[in-house]
Amino acid sequence: MRLFLALASLRRHRSRTMLATAGVAIAAALLLDMVMLSGGMRASFGNLLTAQGFQMRLPPRGTLPFDTEATIDGAGEIIAMLRQKSEIIAVSPVLGATVRTTRDEHPVTAFALGIDPSVQGDYRMESGRDATDSSSLVANVEFLHAAGLQLGDTITLAAGYNPQLRAFTGTRALTIAGRARFIYLSTGQPAVAMPLRSLQAMSGHLKDDAVSVFMVRTRPGADVEAIARWIQGTIPRVDAVSTAQALAKVDERLSYFRQLSFILGAVSLIVGFLLTTTLVTVSVNDRVGEIAVMRAIGVSRAHVVHQVLLEGTAISLGGALLGLALGLVTARWLNTILSSFPGLPAAIDFFLFQPRAAWTALGLLVLSGIAAGIYPAWRAASLPVARTLREEAVA
Amino acid sequence: MTKPLIAGDAPIVSARDVRRDYPLEGEAVHAVRGVSLDVERGEYVAIVGPSGCGKSTLLNLIGAIDTPSGGTVSIAGRDPSAMSDREVTRFRLEHIGFVFQRFYLMPILSAAENVELPMAERGLDKQERRARVRELLAYVELAGRARHRPTQLSGGEQQRVAIARALANSPDLLLADEPTGELDARTGTDIIALFERLNRDGTTIVVVTHDEQLARAARRVIHMRDGIIVHDEVLRAIA
Amino acid sequence: MLLLLLALQLPTIAIDQRLAADAKLRVGDVVVVSAKPGGEGDSVRVGAIIGRPADPSEVARSEYRVRMHLESLQSALGYGDRVDRFAVATRDSTATTDALKRINEAAFGFHAHRSRDIAVGTSETFHVVSRFHRAIGVITIVASAIFLLCILLLKVDERRRDVAALRLLGISRASVMRSVVIEAAFIAALGSAAGVGIGWAVSAIVNWHYQSVYRTPLRFSIVTPEIILLAVSLSLVLGIAAGVLAARRLVRTPPLALLGR
Repeated sequence: MRLFLALASLRRHRSRTMLATAGVAIAAALLLDMVMLSGGMRASFGNLLTAQGFQMRLPPRGTLPFDTEATIDGAGEIIAMLRQKSEIIAVSPVLGATVRTTRDEHPVTAFALGIDPSVQGDYRMESGRDATDSSSLVANVEFLHAAGLQLGDTITLAAGYNPQLRAFTGTRALTIAGRARFIYLSTGQPAVAMPLRSLQAMSGHLKDDAVSVFMVRTRPGADVEAIARWIQGTIPRVDAVSTAQALAKVDERLSYFRQLSFILGAVSLIVGFLLTTTLVTVSVNDRVGEIAVMRAIGVSRAHVVHQVLLEGTAISLGGALLGLALGLVTARWLNTILSSFPGLPAAIDFFLFQPRAAWTALGLLVLSGIAAGIYPAWRAASLPVARTLREEAVA
Repeated sequence: MTKPLIAGDAPIVSARDVRRDYPLEGEAVHAVRGVSLDVERGEYVAIVGPSGCGKSTLLNLIGAIDTPSGGTVSIAGRDPSAMSDREVTRFRLEHIGFVFQRFYLMPILSAAENVELPMAERGLDKQERRARVRELLAYVELAGRARHRPTQLSGGEQQRVAIARALANSPDLLLADEPTGELDARTGTDIIALFERLNRDGTTIVVVTHDEQLARAARRVIHMRDGIIVHDEVLRAIA
Repeated sequence: MLLLLLALQLPTIAIDQRLAADAKLRVGDVVVVSAKPGGEGDSVRVGAIIGRPADPSEVARSEYRVRMHLESLQSALGYGDRVDRFAVATRDSTATTDALKRINEAAFGFHAHRSRDIAVGTSETFHVVSRFHRAIGVITIVASAIFLLCILLLKVDERRRDVAALRLLGISRASVMRSVVIEAAFIAALGSAAGVGIGWAVSAIVNWHYQSVYRTPLRFSIVTPEIILLAVSLSLVLGIAAGVLAARRLVRTPPLALLGR
């Protein structure tokens, strides 16, 4: 009967109830979006880093992977040292460079990765075959489109340019063996990958056996942080950045969004609370006569409190469910905006739906709705019956 | 409808030197000033007097809606002022029925649901409640209006529903504050007839009224002025 | 004395405040600079400590900045007589256009750009952040409009008996509406004024917080007269509109219905 009375009371003033529920829904949507934002970037980036099973990156000391043009010399020697550690089961050396070609006399630039195809973790093959020999490469669809090429075509790529001679340097003719999707690149960026030695030769890094970064895969259950510390101590020209450390650095760089999400999330909760408490208070004020009569005929304080709390809960619950749908829509919109950050890997989402976090946030909103009903419920239950009846009769 | 009347029983209501004061801008207003009265089981008592004489306040004290500033009120042998709020509320639910001038039905409930409300609060099971609702609505001659909302009922019909609601838990005592105050003369007559029938069937009734016709229908009339009883006359003895 | 003389003869570098603070370096200290970690380097003397500019693109970057003489850096990197870019100052805008044309006609291996065009290209990140802020702003405004309407409707509805009594006395609909709308406008004006004060205070807190977190003089939040005007206008319009909607609902209902009859 109490639930029935609570819902009937809300139905009695439909537009008021709908408006309040809409307000709570927007607060819920914003809260959900902020929860998705606060955890989404980290989770999404973490998923990206571990997508290919590599737990560590080794960039030149003092830098982050591909943050600068610095390189690490003596890649072969370093790989041999790393393989001595039994917990390390794979080491993928990667060299990054910019390569150029022309199409209809217009320059086409692409990001090039020199890799070891047997252990690489930078791309996934979509068609054709991998670049296993020194005269082949794989390219992404953006490069093929920009250069007007298809699988099987041969192309001359250059890694440098001599301004005195006005000529490209470090050229090599390569056959497009396969098409791949590059995992860590931003949307629309043309890219190619070829065997490491090929790119080293083209970019003048062959003598130094230089690479830009190593990716390291460890045995399942291995203590990644301990291995990182061993690498830092043993190989002074590299830093060992575990996934956890990389995430911490990302957190630092994107801390603004986390803080913004916390502040806006808190504001949403407060607004949802205020709206519910205002609606329920007004609803109680409207019905003081009825409530006094109910108390006069023997309805207990607890019943009155339950009924008022149920009204607040119903508004919050309805708003939270509506807000869930609305929040998912607005999150997609906001994610589209933030995903256009230049240089951001296409696979990164700022707004990631994590069920547990989302339900916790919405649960908090519903709880705040219940709490919002406490003050008006207490007021309703504390009405002096006789005086209220007298005042209502006069009114 | 209620417990059978037995002559010689202890009074259902016993008030001794009851006072009720209200603070008003620093001064005390003495709404009830030392009233003593007994109401026997089965009586039909009307309390009359000019506006502001304290009759409604006295009714509220008898109904345990209000607490006396002094003196004692005993209802069915119990002193409500010694009870906690929860106990008093429960006491009202089980022993006292109220009828108000402005009916005070829940507009969101149907006639049947309004009558059912006190029984639901008491914890009666659904079947029992529904059966009693049918019985009560038939008694007040509104069996065909069970599903109607208060806004769909006339004033007289609303008051009859309110009376049925007041009788829901078979109270020891039925209290009515100006029950015909918002009704036209003809409808008021119907309500008066209903009260008479209730009393004949054994219900103890105390009404507060300005309505002479209602007062004459009672067996005993208590006249109040300025917070005290000035005259207490028995029109007809309890049969 | 000899060491001091030797130190004075060393080439000098300038380091940023952050590096000076973290590495506890002072002017006059001698350090070794090398192009590769753990590699051989050159001894240099810290000649100056420079403050970081209020450059938004530097904000999230925690690396240190060092300024060296061009020849020293070229030598350390093995660059030869190579640079990454030239910055060219011209007399005026016409001279810039002319210089751009002549350089690009003769240039080989490099291209001249107007600084403004580079700025537009490199500020894409901030455009994204601006778009994001605007989107949040739009959501907040929509939410605020609904909240305001809801609360005003509730509050005005609470007074329906008063309104019914006034109407029964003969007060016209227009008078009642005027009174409600004036009240709504007053609340909106008060709220706007409070909002400006709160916004200014929050902006100061945001700047203080992020300047200390990122160790930069950059101002992250600025409250300008235009922003104040926009915010106040919007909140006044929303508040008055909500008041009008709420009042209209009330005056359209017959007075007896307002009294529940």
